[in-house]
Amino acid sequence: MQVQYKPRRGWLGTIFQSEILQGMGLTLRRLFSRPITRQYPDERPQIRVGFRGQHALVRDPATGDCKCVGCMRCAMACPSRCIRIRSHKDKAPGSRRVIDSYRIEALRCVYCGFCQEVCPVNAIVLTEVFEYSRLERSSLHFTKEQLLANWDQFAAQLNMSDGYVNPCWRPRGLAERDLPAPKRLPVPPEWSGGEQVVGRQWRQHLPPEQS
Amino acid sequence: MSRPVTKHLEIPAADGDGERYSLRMGPQHPATHGVLRVDLELDGETIVTCTPQVGYLHRGIEKLAENKTYAQSLILTDRLDYIAAMANNVGYCVAVERLLSISVPLRAKYIRTMVAEMSRICSHLLWLATHALDIGAMTVFLYCFREREILLDLFEELCGARLTFSYPRIGGVRQDVTAGFIAELQRFLDIFPARIEEYETLIDTNRIWLKRTVGIGRVTGGEALSLGLTGACLRGSGIDYDIRKHQPYDAYDLVDFEVPLGNDGDIYARYRCRMEELHQSARIIQQCIDRLPPGPIVGPDTPDLVMPNKAPARFQAETAAYGTGLVKLIRDQNLYLAGDVYVATEAPKGELGFYFVSDGNNRPYRMHIRSPSFIHIGALAAIAKGEMIADLIANIGSLDVVLGESDR
Repeated sequence: MQVQYKPRRGWLGTIFQSEILQGMGLTLRRLFSRPITRQYPDERPQIRVGFRGQHALVRDPATGDCKCVGCMRCAMACPSRCIRIRSHKDKAPGSRRVIDSYRIEALRCVYCGFCQEVCPVNAIVLTEVFEYSRLERSSLHFTKEQLLANWDQFAAQLNMSDGYVNPCWRPRGLAERDLPAPKRLPVPPEWSGGEQVVGRQWRQHLPPEQS
Repeated sequence: MSRPVTKHLEIPAADGDGERYSLRMGPQHPATHGVLRVDLELDGETIVTCTPQVGYLHRGIEKLAENKTYAQSLILTDRLDYIAAMANNVGYCVAVERLLSISVPLRAKYIRTMVAEMSRICSHLLWLATHALDIGAMTVFLYCFREREILLDLFEELCGARLTFSYPRIGGVRQDVTAGFIAELQRFLDIFPARIEEYETLIDTNRIWLKRTVGIGRVTGGEALSLGLTGACLRGSGIDYDIRKHQPYDAYDLVDFEVPLGNDGDIYARYRCRMEELHQSARIIQQCIDRLPPGPIVGPDTPDLVMPNKAPARFQAETAAYGTGLVKLIRDQNLYLAGDVYVATEAPKGELGFYFVSDGNNRPYRMHIRSPSFIHIGALAAIAKGEMIADLIANIGSLDVVLGESDR
């Protein structure tokens, strides 16, 4: 397909600067329309669910500690290798691993969300908190306590009544049988793949209650 | 480079036809779109020789990929052409899928096509914004960013990131689309043609814009081919070459679109081609929305970061040790077929190719990226020669280079 050019400017347009006046007219119209600029520090941006921001370790309400079981999957999946975990096995039979330290170097992290996805118990999360710049580097090397505190900070601004599910914990559209038991969280049918969004062409073939 | 180091504005002896001097433009020059340095030798304001110097943004991405699994290397491709990260992600996944012969479900193909075209619109809008700003049209800059913001919000809704998406996965996509996302995208598509009209009202026939673009940086079709230009730069010269059309990947053979071709090969023709591509991309997205089929979003044998329950039979050897997918680097195991593959995709800037050499491990033995920006910067020397120094800015803008991709 050959691209089409607009017709050349005539002598009348050249004298009266028609194309410049048209452009000025457009900007004048826009001058009186509602501004779209967000005055950031005063006006908070709308952060979408599942934004990959500050790291946190989910605090287990039952124990008050993190949910991590020390399987090291996040540390292995991490492309930037910024997760360090130390754990030991408790002597008592049947007990799970005790996490001695869980460190995330936020300065190395690339915020890919792979750690959340491979975590079998939904212990780690990238929260929607995006403002956490610090003045010293050392304070961005999160320890386990800081990570738990990050979760408390995030949980305080969440509506926890209907349970928080991060889209990386339970990827939208994956069948439930593909997930380990702790990741089979209650989610809306659209999320679990039960009611997929389909195009117009397919909508006609669906039963009427779904369309 | 073996060029002797010259001081700024060092004036050699006059050689009869006026005084020549050398000038270094960049790497901090705002109009070089990043950290491109151009060593110029000038005769007055005419460029005698132009030597682009790259490498200021070198991060060793190709080398880094050799020490990561295929799934992990995906995040590196975000950082190539950071303006259209989704197109790089898709290109990388398509290449790895062909290397490991993995099939992708149809729904994932459509979603990928959709997001790749969204990212093409993002990239072209940013190109138009900065290119126009370089030439002196401030208003277009702000108007383009207004629409780009809508798309970035959509990407945030879809995958939780606005710049480094890492959205597709090998063998599918990471998250399914939601009804809210589709509705928002549809709203964007409804307003977008009118917005393109606005940009065109501002600059299409503007006499200053025409003076700066028509007849400048002219490349004939043959020259463009021999310089290795791809994408809109090649199509602006009238060569019909679009990988989406000629070697279709994902769902491009299932959607209907046209490849806009210019004639003159100058900056204005490339501008017109890209503006037309905006329309075509919107058309592809619309068709993807209308034809989105039901089904799974990930293929059965993806070697991605699989959940513990979902180790595909094909990769049992690898998953046996750790109970999870290609998470652990396992050296010296023949998991895949050894061999090499080159797969090219049509990124917004041009032909983005990934060349893999696999020795059977779960990480590439070598990954080479054929990035369009690098080739285009190489072509800059030939295009800018003999033109005015002020037009060099327009030429750099028109070639649409991103240094993250060029330097890798």
